[in-house]
Amino acid sequence: MAEDFEPKVVAFLCRWCAGAGADLAGTSRLRYPPNAIPIRVNCSGRVDMEWVMEAFRSGADGVLIGGCHPGDCHYVSGNYKTRRRVYLLRKVLAEMGIEPERVRLEWVSATEGAKFARVMREFVSELKKLGPLHLEGAERAAEPVAARGRS
Amino acid sequence: MPNPRPDARGPRIGVFVCHCGKNIAGTVEVERVVEALARHPGVVYAARHEYMCSDPGQDLIKRAIKDHRLTGVVVAACSPTMHETTFRNAAEEAGLNPYLLEIANIREGCSWVHEGPETTDKAIRIARAAVEKVKGNHPLAPTEVGHADKCLVIGGGVSGIQAALDVANAGYEVVLVERSPSIGGRMAQLSETFPTLDCSQCILTPKMVEAARHPKIRLLTYAEVESVSGYLGNYHVVIRKKPTYVDPDKCNLCGDCAKVCPVRVPDEFNRGLSPRAAIYVPFPQAVPSSYTLDEEHCLGLNPLRCGECAKVCTVGAINYDMREERIEEDVAAIVVATGYDLYGKERMTEYGAGTVPDVIDALEFERLLSAGGPTRGEVRRPSDGKVPKEVVFIQCSGSRDPELHKPYCSKICCMYTAKHALLYRHSVHDGTAYIFYIDIRAGGKEYEEFVVRAMEDERILYLRGKVAKVYRDGDKVIVWGVDTLTGKRIEVAADLVVLAQAMVPSVGTEELARKLHIACGGEGFLKEAHPKLRPLEALTAGIFLAGAAHGPKDIPEAVAQGSGAAAKAIAILSSPTLTHSPEVAEVDEDLCSGCAVCVPQCPYGAISPGEVAHVNELLCEGCGTCVAACPSGAMRMRNQTDDQVKRMIRVALGEPVEVGRG
Amino acid sequence: MRGKPKLAVYWTGGCGGCDVSFLELGPALLDVLSQVEIVFWPALVDTKRADLEELPPRSITATLVNGTLRTEENVEMVRLLREKSQLVVAFGACAHLGGVPGLANLASREEILRTVTGNGFRLAPPPGGDAEDSPPELLGAARPLADEVAVDYTVPGCPPMPSLIGPFFEALLSGDLPDPGHVFAQEQALCKECPRTREDRKLTKVLRPHEALPDPQECLLDQGMICMGPVTRGGCGAACPKAGMPCTGCVGPTPEAGDPALAMIAALGSLVRAGDEGPAAFAAEDRVLDTLVDPLGTFYKYSLPVYVRARRAA
Repeated sequence: MAEDFEPKVVAFLCRWCAGAGADLAGTSRLRYPPNAIPIRVNCSGRVDMEWVMEAFRSGADGVLIGGCHPGDCHYVSGNYKTRRRVYLLRKVLAEMGIEPERVRLEWVSATEGAKFARVMREFVSELKKLGPLHLEGAERAAEPVAARGRS
Repeated sequence: MPNPRPDARGPRIGVFVCHCGKNIAGTVEVERVVEALARHPGVVYAARHEYMCSDPGQDLIKRAIKDHRLTGVVVAACSPTMHETTFRNAAEEAGLNPYLLEIANIREGCSWVHEGPETTDKAIRIARAAVEKVKGNHPLAPTEVGHADKCLVIGGGVSGIQAALDVANAGYEVVLVERSPSIGGRMAQLSETFPTLDCSQCILTPKMVEAARHPKIRLLTYAEVESVSGYLGNYHVVIRKKPTYVDPDKCNLCGDCAKVCPVRVPDEFNRGLSPRAAIYVPFPQAVPSSYTLDEEHCLGLNPLRCGECAKVCTVGAINYDMREERIEEDVAAIVVATGYDLYGKERMTEYGAGTVPDVIDALEFERLLSAGGPTRGEVRRPSDGKVPKEVVFIQCSGSRDPELHKPYCSKICCMYTAKHALLYRHSVHDGTAYIFYIDIRAGGKEYEEFVVRAMEDERILYLRGKVAKVYRDGDKVIVWGVDTLTGKRIEVAADLVVLAQAMVPSVGTEELARKLHIACGGEGFLKEAHPKLRPLEALTAGIFLAGAAHGPKDIPEAVAQGSGAAAKAIAILSSPTLTHSPEVAEVDEDLCSGCAVCVPQCPYGAISPGEVAHVNELLCEGCGTCVAACPSGAMRMRNQTDDQVKRMIRVALGEPVEVGRG
Repeated sequence: MRGKPKLAVYWTGGCGGCDVSFLELGPALLDVLSQVEIVFWPALVDTKRADLEELPPRSITATLVNGTLRTEENVEMVRLLREKSQLVVAFGACAHLGGVPGLANLASREEILRTVTGNGFRLAPPPGGDAEDSPPELLGAARPLADEVAVDYTVPGCPPMPSLIGPFFEALLSGDLPDPGHVFAQEQALCKECPRTREDRKLTKVLRPHEALPDPQECLLDQGMICMGPVTRGGCGAACPKAGMPCTGCVGPTPEAGDPALAMIAALGSLVRAGDEGPAAFAAEDRVLDTLVDPLGTFYKYSLPVYVRARRAA
């Protein structure tokens, strides 16, 4: 295994909890690896499962979805929807031969800066163990089929 | 809408990278971020500044918007929670629609948490992703909407009364809904209040009367909110008012009806320590000042089985034909002040509660102390009416016990237990009070002094430790405990045990929260929008929290929160119009099949099903859960479409950014 | 005046159902046949590859290809047809999306050959035959038509329903053809055509079609049957749901649905309820989702080769 493999990660963070927790990690100057590019959403419930696959197709080795703790969702119940979607997605990924651990759902509150940093460290180290995903070769399949025909 | 996006000419994005002194520039090579972004497709201008949020920094942005005819701006700086508004306002001043400006957070999420060359690489990726988002943004304008001119207050305890009075005194109409026959709430049940030992009813009743007589307050007692629909500024509320079968305008409180009533049931106001008739007044100072016929316990109204009360009513106040009323109101804001209950004492099996009659809870003791209570203020125990000479008070009963009961501190028990002990000693001069406590929490004005006063009474014994067991032995209640300060085991043969039960949200709080589309926290108390900065607001705009429904609190806090919630409501009522964020979900009607998968995903009921789904954009809070759920991609989030995010993902993961060159 | 349009129909790796589906046009088929000249249709007329090779380039007005691409011969033939045709139409789910045979992509070519023929199998000509008489090589994976040749139009379905075939022939024969890339089906999901009622949108259990007799009025999804209707183009008139069978997605996903599995994951995950939402319900919600047998085969029944391109080697 290449020791210098640096996994690429996209992190979808809800603005009220996980995003605020990430901000707190910053304010508290907690170091964590720079592998993840954060994308802010209002609610983890906004995270489209298409985005996760788009990230994998675009070269990501892992995707983190950060939402509010159960009972704390700013929008009451968006995190519950995401939890179930991710549960099903991970089953399907496993059938496709993609390690389900590459999609990680974490509840991080606005006060849990340390947890956010820890999650980042853990996730990157787990992805290093899993190795690269190498889905880059996959053609983008999202476009309607007819439009993809070569002429 | 102003400033239509000039698609034909392609995007002209400006990127502004902030040094934030050393905060960003210390770990991010700002110059390289500027260079990389200047080469990013669609970017026509990139610049940096020592402090972009300073006036000169903002001027740089404003000038560039004009000089370079920018169609979008990215500010790579601190978290959007810090200065998004600052920069969006600056953009608007320069003539750019504020929704065409996005923040790339390269400080909290980057420069402060990383070191080494990768930090610059990451900052570039974050900024590029923001550029891709801006490219897909459309100019938007907040939606303006008129509003109703009334405020609904749910709950007629002291907090709700205060909120209602403050709103009414500001000149706005209030609908005050209380589910019991009288307003007053828990405070009306208390004997005296700590730390001043004011008579609780004496200080409360003037407010009750003022609320009842206020021309701007519509008082609806014996009534409950059935349904709530609508949104900030325009809530439509349906209230059901149960029939009291007594005309409050005619009733003169003579009480003849109750005397002839053959029914006797436990009196709720006295916590079951005395009986009442089926027709009753909860307490003499009740507001409205009228008897109520409790249909549940009456022998029968349809067909009439007894009819004795009407026969003796000389003023003809009793009307068996009274029907339930369905009242509809349109209100701009809602204050929820539904108060608390005590955690059921029967759950404290370790303390013998529920089986030993002389183990009572704190509110029962309040009634025993009250002049208007079942014992007319003499402390007499329930089992045999004897005056107890040895009384054990157990604090934290059900509180601070995450294994078996409630994990939280109920906040007021230390104080009222000190009050109970003092009042008991005032009443029973040769009596002894024992108080078992974990520690004393007396934060509050003159609270510590009050507890010290109780401790200085030589016949009030504070024992630091938990009670292990309480059981009945003859006419005594034996209490086993430990004094952890002396390490001694303690056994008290008590006449009465008083449990300072944990506070819990009143029955029905969760059901009401569901109707209001607001959230309850883990312990069922209503959840505020932000624990520090928005403690009065629910997560749904236009709904405010007051009193103990939000969490354990004492009277001054409940009153202050009532006033605070009223101020929030007045701010809405006094605005000519309200605005709503335009960053909400919308339906592409050409793609929607009407499958309605989205409908149950919305916590605000903003989506109505039909041939195609429809989003009420004033109800939509923009969470986007429906957008992600939509199976056919017909539901979209304004300025955060799937296409925008996918482009962000691609550039975020795009080819490595050359770092360290030159 | 130009002559009748010249029509070719070819069948690659499929079941033959698409060829039969023309019959469902009923009497209208006679009208169609009288207005075209069939130059190549192995299932119907005796024409050989050599006849095709002799045709000048672009001399066929339209070629309808059904079946998935599974062998090298399939690829050779569709390239040849492309060269000889003005229009190439993906006809049916296999040509459109890879189809049911595309589910074989869950296994490698080697695994498939080993399973079907046992170890030690090699492609070889029949005893005494020439090398060119060998069976054609299997491709590494089943692929949709558009992977090899430009596709002008798609008539989707498994097999295409007369309601989709009819409009295609109307367009072809009138010369009033839509923009290239057009799929002869609706852009909206078939829920729009489904008469079932959607009162209480939630999924409290997952049932396979044989496990229950569905209520005739209520949405099948609400009854626990995994109906792909919400992600699938309409145009079929919701034929299956009307008959009490959940849609399996043969017409393919709506243009904005994207990957049908991801869209269904989002929808089903959103709809699952096991009592009030919250941590107390998590385990029960997961159990509901666990009863969904073969999610990959359910969601990608017709489209695996398009959407699951890069199954990583084990």
